[in-house]
Amino acid sequence: MINTTIIIKNEYGLHALPASRFVKAADKFQCDVRLVKDGIEVDGKSIMGILTLACEKGSQVELKVDGPDEKAALEALGKILEGADVGH
Amino acid sequence: MDTKELVVHGIPVSKGIAIGKVFIYHVITPSILESEIEDVETEIERFHGAVAKTKKDLLLLKKRIGEEMPLDLSHFLEAQLMMLDDAKFNSEVVEGIKRERKNCEHIYHKLITTFTGKLLVSKDAYFRERSYDIWDIANRLLRNLLGEEHVTILEAPKGSIVVTNDLPPSEAALINPKQILGVASEMGGVTSHTAIMAKALEIPAVLGVHDLLAKMIEGETIVLDGERGLVIKNPKESRIRNYEVEIERLEEHKRSLIPAAQLPPKTKDGKYIDISANIEFLSEVSSAIRYGAEGVGLFRTEFLYLAKRGLPTEEEQFQIYYSLAKRMKHKTVIIRTFDLGGDKVRAGYREANPFLGWRAIRVCLDDVGFFKTQLRAILRAAVLGNVKVMFPMIATIEELRKAKIILDRTKQDLTREKVEFGADLAVGIMVETPSAALMSEHLARECDFFSIGSNDLTQYTLAVDRGNERIHRLFDHFHPAVLKLVAMVADAAHKYNIMVGVCGEIASDILGLPLLVGLGVDELSMTPSVIPEAKYILRGIKVSDAVEIARQCLTLRTPLEVRRFLSRSIAKTFPDLLTAPSV
Repeated sequence: MINTTIIIKNEYGLHALPASRFVKAADKFQCDVRLVKDGIEVDGKSIMGILTLACEKGSQVELKVDGPDEKAALEALGKILEGADVGH
Repeated sequence: MDTKELVVHGIPVSKGIAIGKVFIYHVITPSILESEIEDVETEIERFHGAVAKTKKDLLLLKKRIGEEMPLDLSHFLEAQLMMLDDAKFNSEVVEGIKRERKNCEHIYHKLITTFTGKLLVSKDAYFRERSYDIWDIANRLLRNLLGEEHVTILEAPKGSIVVTNDLPPSEAALINPKQILGVASEMGGVTSHTAIMAKALEIPAVLGVHDLLAKMIEGETIVLDGERGLVIKNPKESRIRNYEVEIERLEEHKRSLIPAAQLPPKTKDGKYIDISANIEFLSEVSSAIRYGAEGVGLFRTEFLYLAKRGLPTEEEQFQIYYSLAKRMKHKTVIIRTFDLGGDKVRAGYREANPFLGWRAIRVCLDDVGFFKTQLRAILRAAVLGNVKVMFPMIATIEELRKAKIILDRTKQDLTREKVEFGADLAVGIMVETPSAALMSEHLARECDFFSIGSNDLTQYTLAVDRGNERIHRLFDHFHPAVLKLVAMVADAAHKYNIMVGVCGEIASDILGLPLLVGLGVDELSMTPSVIPEAKYILRGIKVSDAVEIARQCLTLRTPLEVRRFLSRSIAKTFPDLLTAPSV
């Protein structure tokens, strides 16, 4: 298992659009994807789970990946969380 | 079946007459019962079946929107589809059915309640609002489980008249005039979003019809009379024939005014009055030009938010503002920043007194990020040189100053990022609160133009909510109290040499045109379809006469006296005017 902590910079937080983009990307990896915020952990492949974390702008989120392709997943999914892939 | 003709009355908010078939839009939350089940496997199958059915419905809807609507709803539907497909969530439902041996509606409803409950406690309004999106899809699925239909007006067949208890703004944004001939509603008044939409789309609308749904049957033919405010069930043959004649006559009248549309908007004695269009959609630009608009005096931006059910990005907004400015060429385009709140609430946000609450500029000043995103898009679109920005519902001078500071900071950001923008963007305010009108001499020194929003100004001056059917008759923009404020604002603007326009309902009411010209208004911004008639009237009057009309109106005591006086003076100058001015 490897992990990283990211501060959400997107103006409107991790809202429906980036969340769905995140889930779509996460689905492509074999490894387990988990997101943790304020001690609550959810499945990163579940959009309902991610939405209920209500990651507002400035919130701190831990991304945990565990599985054969975890390294690539951490890099790709971390970028989405940071909003580095596309605008909002 | 009762086939007796039935005429019901409501408030006519958008002119025109339609003969069409009833399409009922009535959303009620499905009621969920809890019950024990025998066969767990069948129950799980039922759940999967409902998920599949709901997905199919959504995909169909998405396809139709893609083909017919210019709105960016597909992202919203995309996210809803993913929620349906959420394997983790769905397996929790299945586990719940197995564990509790209860019906799947109950289990699903309970889980959704828990999930959305987590969102409702978020500090961030955006996430609180998203719980309603989840409920939207959840209710769709629950209705499929219960065998109830889920209706959205996107599903209305061609030739429909939407009959509803109340149309939420997000649903009103989906009205496609190619399919929908008109709207009749139990709720809503002249200034409601439904009214604005109907006028923009030039379809008739009658709102505030008491007990409407109980009287109407899906699919039956009705007459919707937006001229008189009538909904007629089981219309007699003779009635339909008369209406068909009237529809033809109205069309003819419209056509006869088209030549006047392209003439310069000048009074008989040569004073130029800017006659512009109020619009909300890019699709209205061509009709505004066809009707002879000198510019866009009010571009409402709320629909960008409402149709998307969320926050439009800077790029999405920029594309719309830029193509609007480009298509209007050298003509002025006034973009009003988000006027959310009141009856156009942010999804899920409720308060006791919305019109006196967190709305318009107050929302923007509190949510600076949201505001700046819009200002960036407007500033960038202003490179073409014809864009102006306008702040809604300014009640105090501090609000104007704060908004201008945020605008300046936004300009600094853009400069730093080396993004091109229109640096000398003119800044105006809506004068729509009595306090702004009373303080207009001070406000005039700190902005570049005024636009009087007569609807809100009337509502706040007379303390009347026009959407309230018990008191809507007390609402009248020709009330002398309102006219005195308009006169005061016009005088203040001229004293400090700034332009003063009117973009409220009163500007689209041709009865008031000589009066407004006489009060010294420089610009009238109105529903595009009214422009030809307004130009026709303007070109037939003299400023000196208009000034005298205004002077006399200011001495009257009641709106009825004003209306009678205006009707008489219009009839004197235009004895052949075909459509009687609305009273």
